Parts: sequence; structure tokens; C-alpha cells
Amino acid sequence: MSSLDRQHNHDAWWRSPDELADAPRLGEFLDAEFPAEADPGGINRRRWLQLMGASLALAAVSGCRWKEQEILPFAERPEGRTPGKIERFATAMPLGDTVVGLEVACVDGRPIKIDGNPRHPQSLGATDVFAQAALLELYDPDRSQSVTLQNVENSQERTWEQFAEACQARCRRLHKTHGGGFHVLAEASSSPTLAALRSRLLNAFPKAKWFEYEPTGDDNQRAGAVLTFGRPLRTHLRLDRAKIIVCLDADPLGTHPAAVQYARDFAAGRQPESGKMSRLYVVEGGVSLTGAAADHRLPLRPSEIPGFVARLENSCGAGAPPAFAQDRRDACTTTETFIRAVVGDLLANENHGRSIVCVGPSQPPEVHAAVHRLNAMLGNVGEKGTIAYTRTFDPERPSHVEAIRTLVDEIGAGHVDTLLILGGNPVYNAPADLAFGEALKRVEMSIHLSGYRDETSRHCTWHLPRAHFLESWDDGRSYDGTYSVIQPMIAPLRNGRSPIEVLSMLLPSTGKDAKPSPEELVSKTFREQIAGESSAPWRKVLRDGLLADSRWPVETISPLPLGEGLGVRADRGSGTRGQASDSLPHPSSLISHPLSPSPHPNPLPKRERTVGDEQLEVIFRNDRSVYDGRFANNSWLQELPDPITRLTWGGAALIGPATAEKLGIKNEELVVLKVDDRQTRIPVYVLPGQAPDTVELLLGYGRWAAGKVGGDVPEIEPVGVDVYPLRTTATMHTAVATIVPTGEIYRLAGTQDHHAIDAVGREATEKRAATLIRQATLEHYRQHPDFAQHSDEHPPLKSLWKEPEYEGHRWGMSIDLSKCSGCGACVVACQAENNIPVVGRQQVLKGREMHWLRVDRYFRGEPNNPELAYQPLPCQQCELAPCEQVCPAAATVHSHEGLNDMVYNRCVGIRYCANNCPYQVRRFNFFNYHKELEDPENEIAKMKYNPQVTVRCRGVMEKCTYCVQRIQEAKIAAKNSGEAIRDGQIQTACQQTCPTGAIVFGDLADQSSEVLRLRRSARAYAILAELNVRPRTIYLARIRNPNPELESSDRKHGSPTT
Amino acid sequence: MNRIRPFAGALLIGAPAYLIFLLYAAGSPETTDVRYSPRQPLPYSHQVHAGKMGLDCRYCHTTVEGAAFAAVPPTSVCMNCHKTIASDKETTELLRRSMATGKPVPWVRVHDLPDYVYFDHHAHVRRGVGCVSCHGRIDRMEQVSQTKTLSMGWCLECHRDPAPQLRPPEFVTDMNWFPNEDARVLGDRLMKEKDISPSTDCSTCHR
Repeated sequence: MSSLDRQHNHDAWWRSPDELADAPRLGEFLDAEFPAEADPGGINRRRWLQLMGASLALAAVSGCRWKEQEILPFAERPEGRTPGKIERFATAMPLGDTVVGLEVACVDGRPIKIDGNPRHPQSLGATDVFAQAALLELYDPDRSQSVTLQNVENSQERTWEQFAEACQARCRRLHKTHGGGFHVLAEASSSPTLAALRSRLLNAFPKAKWFEYEPTGDDNQRAGAVLTFGRPLRTHLRLDRAKIIVCLDADPLGTHPAAVQYARDFAAGRQPESGKMSRLYVVEGGVSLTGAAADHRLPLRPSEIPGFVARLENSCGAGAPPAFAQDRRDACTTTETFIRAVVGDLLANENHGRSIVCVGPSQPPEVHAAVHRLNAMLGNVGEKGTIAYTRTFDPERPSHVEAIRTLVDEIGAGHVDTLLILGGNPVYNAPADLAFGEALKRVEMSIHLSGYRDETSRHCTWHLPRAHFLESWDDGRSYDGTYSVIQPMIAPLRNGRSPIEVLSMLLPSTGKDAKPSPEELVSKTFREQIAGESSAPWRKVLRDGLLADSRWPVETISPLPLGEGLGVRADRGSGTRGQASDSLPHPSSLISHPLSPSPHPNPLPKRERTVGDEQLEVIFRNDRSVYDGRFANNSWLQELPDPITRLTWGGAALIGPATAEKLGIKNEELVVLKVDDRQTRIPVYVLPGQAPDTVELLLGYGRWAAGKVGGDVPEIEPVGVDVYPLRTTATMHTAVATIVPTGEIYRLAGTQDHHAIDAVGREATEKRAATLIRQATLEHYRQHPDFAQHSDEHPPLKSLWKEPEYEGHRWGMSIDLSKCSGCGACVVACQAENNIPVVGRQQVLKGREMHWLRVDRYFRGEPNNPELAYQPLPCQQCELAPCEQVCPAAATVHSHEGLNDMVYNRCVGIRYCANNCPYQVRRFNFFNYHKELEDPENEIAKMKYNPQVTVRCRGVMEKCTYCVQRIQEAKIAAKNSGEAIRDGQIQTACQQTCPTGAIVFGDLADQSSEVLRLRRSARAYAILAELNVRPRTIYLARIRNPNPELESSDRKHGSPTT
Repeated sequence: MNRIRPFAGALLIGAPAYLIFLLYAAGSPETTDVRYSPRQPLPYSHQVHAGKMGLDCRYCHTTVEGAAFAAVPPTSVCMNCHKTIASDKETTELLRRSMATGKPVPWVRVHDLPDYVYFDHHAHVRRGVGCVSCHGRIDRMEQVSQTKTLSMGWCLECHRDPAPQLRPPEFVTDMNWFPNEDARVLGDRLMKEKDISPSTDCSTCHR
């Protein structure tokens, strides 16, 4: 038996596999009294004295007064501008073929914080991590800033004018051939303006060809819709209406393009107080955020899921749960029990039309088709139902894989002499068997528009710097089709231009002399295509950032008989189907619409893929931090701990504990993964919950030309391992790999075991873990609503100290563990708002990451399929704060409003406070992490700072302040206007961006405040209340809604963790 | 030997004490900041504009009642008058050049708080703390100089006992205003009327 199995205890929460197994390394990590202190960072004592001597001498020379400062007022101040005041503008962030509506806070004309646009139906004020971190990208000094012409020997800087000349010369030639030999490869876009320019371009050059490629897209969804409805449609879920949700390898709460809205809807559908409580079943290979939120989760290999779906459809079609083969359910496999429970719930009368079955992008089209039928059968489809279908972009376009394969074929045949690549990074992320980089060499003139001089740029003859979306005019449609405008917050900092500007450079002038400005292009599209009958004025659209009620109308359809659907475009998307679909079982005798073998050259085999010894099924997916690799140079995202693995700075190959045991692979061991004849070396992370015999690989790492953060070979090592070389046109989503351990260990920069105390402390932590996360089933909660308050017992609390008394405001926070999905948007928002530095992989390994807010992840139960829980942990702002009592410098003191103030300029850096903090939420600046900004090259990076928050220097302790700068601003404004501060007027940065609304901040002295209402709720509890520190932050217990049928056979899964 | 002993003793005690005093005096804001009066890029005189001509402070520092910063005026404000007045003088040359090129006039900051201090003008001015309380008699300064230490102790004096510094808000910019009654009596009344209770919490100014 593994140590994992030996030790696990069903009812105890545990934080990491290492902790559960009591791995020796964790012991070492904890044994250093201050784990973070062991190494002074490579400077020896002698060197330190030398440096100190030198800096003292310098200090004496520079005199007593600091440098003279200049005040530079405008020559003419723009109307309405108040220096130093925050102005907010609406815009949107494009990502793939959707946009997210944003509201950007600008000070003195520079964006300093990105938030969701409260008017935008897909955001309602919240965002995901990518939008939060986009600010850092805007000010990234590594962004390209010059047009570059590159030939075999060297690369030379050019100007945009020189490019325009070269371009016109080329266009004249292309006009003669009607565009023959001219190809465009674009990344997915939702922009109507880009689409309009595209059709103008294709009119001007009729023989030109346009391809669209994204490494991870919705190919399978589209093909699945074509199979069912005869045309590609987009599926929309109404998670707030559903009572039963079944996710099959789908991640609506995590990686879905509409995840922000879905996470909120899901939380809205689970309100234990009102009794509205959906039930979530998840069947998946890896562990997703949706899986973490599930009431029941079944780990299955992706190739087993089609079989699961077939049985589900069969049983639902038959109108009854499948009978058990044996009379006793103990004899049944977990999967059978699971299906029985799911079908029972789906077919229950009260759930008719109130369930959702959804399937993820990695499943083959046939499975999507089966799910469409299933939803129709369950009565879910329709405007009032839980599933709606709308149109989607460009119904005629081939799948992304098909597109890039065709392009490479054309290049190979010598048909391409001019290739314009608009965004994207195909050299890095195109399927490996196409060898896109090699193919590019055969193109006479290749032009790449890109924010960075990345892998693709280095293979092209021309590189054009792309303007950031915060610097450009554009438009787009969000997932539900809402028309949103992208407007610049700042003039291009790096001389970049947007795709629409570049396209309009290529177009012949239309009579008038001057080319239209990008704003004119966008407003013209709006007037001609979008506004239609609605007379919404352009200025109002700009102000709101969107056209209200412009979402796509719901299509009324019913699934076509299968035969009709299949014939239409079965060849589309075949590349993506590849191996994944060849695992589809053939349950034709079971289901109502038998799946006939498709005309695809690979006929569907009859069985699930068998996995031999040392063979694993590979799952490729986008990383939750760097996406498909495009955010690899964003250090906020690189250092954001993954919600599931808690890893920073590079991913790993994720395998389950049972698989690791079987193959004899240790956590963090380097393995060689072989897919056919391709192989790579990658460290392994043993992830509880990963399906047996699968390995999950995260796309987006191992960039060799990303920049100074993500990797720039040969100067800067890539972050993580590039797994695109294992991914071919046939294996876009899954593959079969062999795995060979090497015995070498590579330390992964995980953060979950940080801020533990020591071996003794850990035992106490383990005992207490049950009282940190309090959880109950809905049933138990209904019987004992106040269970959370009786979860721990302690003697009456009496203070040794004089207890503070409060007048006026009493700030407090509540965090609802039932709502928190663990996504991490709050962590990045806090980082952006509070000027929190990034420390880098080496420092993270020492436990020195600086996030003021961490999201703790807990596992419980069986290591091969544990339950997960999240707990965001900011400073608890204790009323009787242990940190204050040990500070000799009065650098952390109590305010009259109950805030635990941190005074940086008093702090002498002895760190007693951090030692004495029971929640371990204090962070220490071991170095001057802002030092690189003194480099004149990084001048631009300083612009990201929030001017309302001090930038801390080395040797200073810091921690969450409840965003005190926002509190002060609101207090001053309230006093000036003579009105009281409204409840909800002050939002902390984490609260503002939380998609589910789990975090609520407010005044406990205000009797009508939401935070007080929640504090009085039966579910409220304080963690470590027995220490009598009286935290101002309280938690609301987590309520789950498991199926009693599964509970009884399983274990007391959701029993209160007392 | 015996004669040296008392001197040595005195030196032993005196020298460190003297050094400490020296360091204290040299580092004190009284020494480093008060009377700091850097040369400005053009000879703008507050004495002429605010004193002799009686321009209100807010004619130029427009944002003082609505924002944390009392913004230095854009060149266009200067040019409102200097388009016609002294429009050919050498002293206003920089203004005309700024207007023509759009480049700012590089004024030198006089009142400079450390970066970890967040002072808010409108929070003070709207409560009735006069400009003169912190900036001194600007209307008598040919070239602006700092008259108060602007040290934390100095701020706290007023935050602990604001009454003597308060006046009706309509008189905040009046350099010649004096209370008709006892300043403390008036201040106490204003504190009650306007609910003024300045905080001495650290996070009031340090964020």
C-alpha cells in the first residue's frame, strides 16, 4: 500500500499529497526555523559589508535633502481631467473569438487597474485572471516596439512607412494576379470590423485565401452542432436555472470562454438559505475547477467518456435508470452506480427541463451530438429552458486544424508567396507534424503582426509590433453575442498598430484621399452593421462599452435525425477528431439514434481505447495561467498558483496517485513522455483526483522567444516544458503516450505547503483542518442550520488584553465558501491594486511569494478521487491581533475602525509579527523586488503602479489592508458630500472582481449592511476562533448537495466536518 | 596624565552626545526643509499675483476643493491674462513657448511630502483648514519657500487638536483672515457643526 493510502482518513482535510504522505522534503522545508531564511540570497557576509560601506558613503555624498522634483502641468489641460483623480472608461478584452467587457481605471491618462464592466451582461463587474493581468502586459518592457525586416543573416529595424512602401509594392503585384499567392492566417476574432475588412480584402484580392487558427478552439463543438443541426451553433447554459448539472469533460466554471458569467450563474443556483440548490455531477479526466465544485465527481479517461454518454443516453431514452447487474450494489462498479444516480436525477419529474448536460471541447463531435439529443430529450432546450442555441461566427469556415493543414499544404505546393499572419503564434503552437516553422521558410514574404517578437516573428521576413488592446480601437462580440467596443485607454506606448489598422493598410483607398482612422472604421461598422433599427448613438455605446440587448437571438430548433446531420460536413473537423473519436464505443443497440460510422477514413472502433502497461492517455489542455502560451511573459500570471495544483512558474505532467504508484513514479520526478516517435522530458506532479492511466499536459509553457519572463533562449531559460511538440493534427486533444521515469528530481514551485508552521504545528493544523473548512450536506444543513457554529469547542474566551472599543465604522468581510470557485481572479486583482511584487521561481521555492491573499486548497477523502475545497485567506484583521502585541516598533497598530494598520516606514523588519500570526498572512520583502524598475529600460513598467498605494522596499513587512486606500477615498467623499457611506459603496479589489460574489465587504456598524447580515447568518464562523483573536473576516460554511443514493454507497461524503 | 583625565572623561561623554545632537539637528526637517526655496524656471511672484492683485488661490489651483492634489495650473491659465499683459516681456517667454510647443513649464516642487504619505487637499480645505496654516503667507513671497516643517509630529499636532486652525470654509484662501472671537471657541463650534474629528490612525495618511 502506498503511504497515501495508508494514511488517508476520510474525514480529515489535507492540504497536499506531500503532507498526506509526510514526505521528507516537506519536513526539511519546515525544519529550517524560518524556511524562508535559510539562504541570504547568494550574498556572503563580506560582500554585504562591502556593499553597506559603499552605500553609506553614497548616502553621505548625496546630502540630506532628497532630489529636487519637477511638477509638469499640461500646457492645456484636457477638459474634465483632474490631475491624480481616477477616471473610468469602458472597453473590452478580446480573447479568442469572444470579448470580456471591462472598465479600466486611469489616472493621469494611464490605466492602473482593470475591472469588469458592471453594465456588461457577461461580466457584471467581474473578470477572470487574464483580464486582471492584462495591465501588466500593457506595460511590459519586452513588448516589441519596432517594425523589423529579417533575412537570413540579420534583422534590421524599419519604420511603419518603410513597411507601407514594401506593402504597396507587393499589393501592386498581387493586384495583377488578383491576389493569387496571397494568404492570411489570423487568430480567432469576434470583431465585426475585422470581418468587414476581411471581406473587403477578399473582394479586392479575389484569389487570396483567409485561414483562421487557434491551438485550442471550439472545433469539436461546431462539428457536433453540424452533425445534429446541420450548421454550427453555439450552446449557452443557464446554470442558474438548472437543478441537475452533468459536466462531461467540460469546465464551464473554469476554462470556458463565458466562465465568469457561468460561475456567477452557478453560484446563483446554489443558495442554501433559499433552498435553491442545484446538484453538480462531473465526469472528467483531469481535475478542473468545475470538478472541484462538484457534488459528485467521477474520474474517467477521456476515451471512456463517449461510452459513458452512450449509456446515459440509452438509459434516459429508456426512461429508467439501468438495472443493476447484481442484486447488491456493492458488487457494481463505481461508474455503474454513478450512472444510475445521474439518470435517476435527470429523469426525476421535478427536474424535467431543469437539467443541463454539457460536454467539453476535447470530446469528439459525435459525443457533442449525443449530448444535444440528450438535452432535447430531457426538455432542456429553449429560451425558457436551461440550454439555448444561438448562431456563431462564420458558419462556413473549416476547423482550425483543417485550416492550418490546408495552409501548410499550399505552402508546400509553392502556392503561397505572401503570407500575412495576424496575431497568433503558429510556429510555437501549430500541430507539430505540420512543421510550420520549416514551411514558413518557403514563403517569400511573410509578415507577422504580434505584440512580442516571438517564435513566429523570428521565422517571418517582416515583424510588425501589435498595439495592445488597451491601446487600440476595435470591437467584438462576447460569448452571448453582445456587441462590445474596444477603445484605447492610452496612445500606443510601443509604436504598435492593431490588426484592423494593418488590414486597412493593405486595402486600396476607396476614393477619398486619406485612409480612415481606426475609430472611423469601428464606428462605420457599428452604423452600417450593428445599429440597424436601434438608434443608439455611437457616443452612448462608447460610454457603456456595449450596445445594450445586442446578444444573439435564441434559435428555435430541434435536433435533426442523425443521418441528415452527418452528411452535411462530416469531413470538417476530422483532424481534431482523430484519436479522440476513434475511441467512441459503438452502442448502436443501446441508443435511440444509432451512431452510424462516419465517412471519416478512420472507422470508429468498437471498444474504448485500451491502455497497456506504462501507457497513459494524454490529455492536452490550456494552462489556467498562461492560456495557450500567449500570456507566458506575464509574471503576475506565471506566479499565480494554479487553483488545482498550486504550482507557479511552469506546469507539470499531472498523473494520479494510483498511476504514480503503479509506474513507480515519485512526485516531481522527471519522466520521458513518448507519443509515437516524439518525446519530451517533463517533471511529474502527482495530483489527487487525476483519472487513472491518464496524464494531463498543460499547453503554453516552454516558450523560447516569449521575453525576459517567459523565456528567451539562449539568455533566459524557458519557464516550464513545451508540450506542443507532442501534439499533432491527429492528437489535438488526446493521445497515447508511454512514460519512462528517469529518477531525477526537478523541484516544482508549488505554494500549498508554504506558511505551514513546523512538525508540531502541522499536527495541530491537521487536527484543526476540519474546523477551518466547515461543510455539510444540504440535508444536514436543513436539520441543523447552525452546525458551523458548533463545530469546535473551546473554553469561554477571555482576553488578557484590554479589549478595544469601537465607535464609527467597523469594517468587516465575509467569504462564502459555498460560492468560491477557487479561480484566483481575486489574487491577481489584489496584486494589481496593491502594487504587490513578483518574486520569481527561486523565491517561491523558498516560500517567499508575496500575494496578500492566498487561496488555500484542501483535499478530503480517497486520494484517487478526493473532494476539494477552497478557502481564500486575506488578513483577518483581528480585533485582538497577535501581530500587534509583538511588534517592538509599533509598526502594526490597531485603527479605531478595527483595521490592523501596517506602517511601512516604521517597520524594522524583525518579522516577529509574521511569526505570531496564526493565519500566516503576513509577507516580508526579503529583497527590493522593485529594484529592476530603477533600470531606465524599465521606465515604462513603473506606470502600472497604483499611485494610491505605497511601493514597499526591502526589509518591510506587508499584508492585506482591506484596500484601505479605497476606504479613505470613500470616507473623504462621503464627508464632503455630507452623506453617509452607502452599503456596497466601498468594494475591496478582491470583492470587485470575484465572479461568484463570494466576498462581501462592509461596515459592521451599519445595521442594514450585507456584511452584517452575513455575519449573523447561521452558516457564519470564524477560523481559529478559539485563539480569541476575534477576526473581522468570517467565513460562511460550505454546503453541498450530494445525491443520497451515492452517499450511502460511497461514504459519509458530506457529513459535517466536526 | 592626571590633567588629561577630566578632559578625556568629558570627551568620552561629550563627543558622542555632541555627535548625536549634530546628527539630530542635521536631519531635522527644521534644518532640511524649512526655508527651502528652490529657484523656479520663471520668476513668477505670488506676492504680485496673490498679494498685490488679490487673485484667489483657486483661480489657478482649481482642483484644491475637489481632489487630493492642488494642481499647478496649466500654461493656458497663465495665458488667459498674459496673452495681453506683459505679452512681450522676457519673463513670460517660457509661457509663450510652452503654449506654442505644448511642452510643460518645469516648475520645481517646494512642498514635498514623502511618497508614503497621502495628503489630501480637499479633505482639509473643505473642512476649513486655511491655506495659510500649512503654506504660510504665500501672498508675501516673491519666490515660494516652505515655512512649516511638514513633519509627522507637526501634522499630528493639528490632528489631535484641530480647533485653533479651523475657520469657516468660505475664508480658507483668505490670507488676511483673523477670527473675530477666540480661535478656540470658534474652532470648537466649527468642529461640532461640521462633524470634524480628524483621525490619528496610521492608515489615515499611510496606505
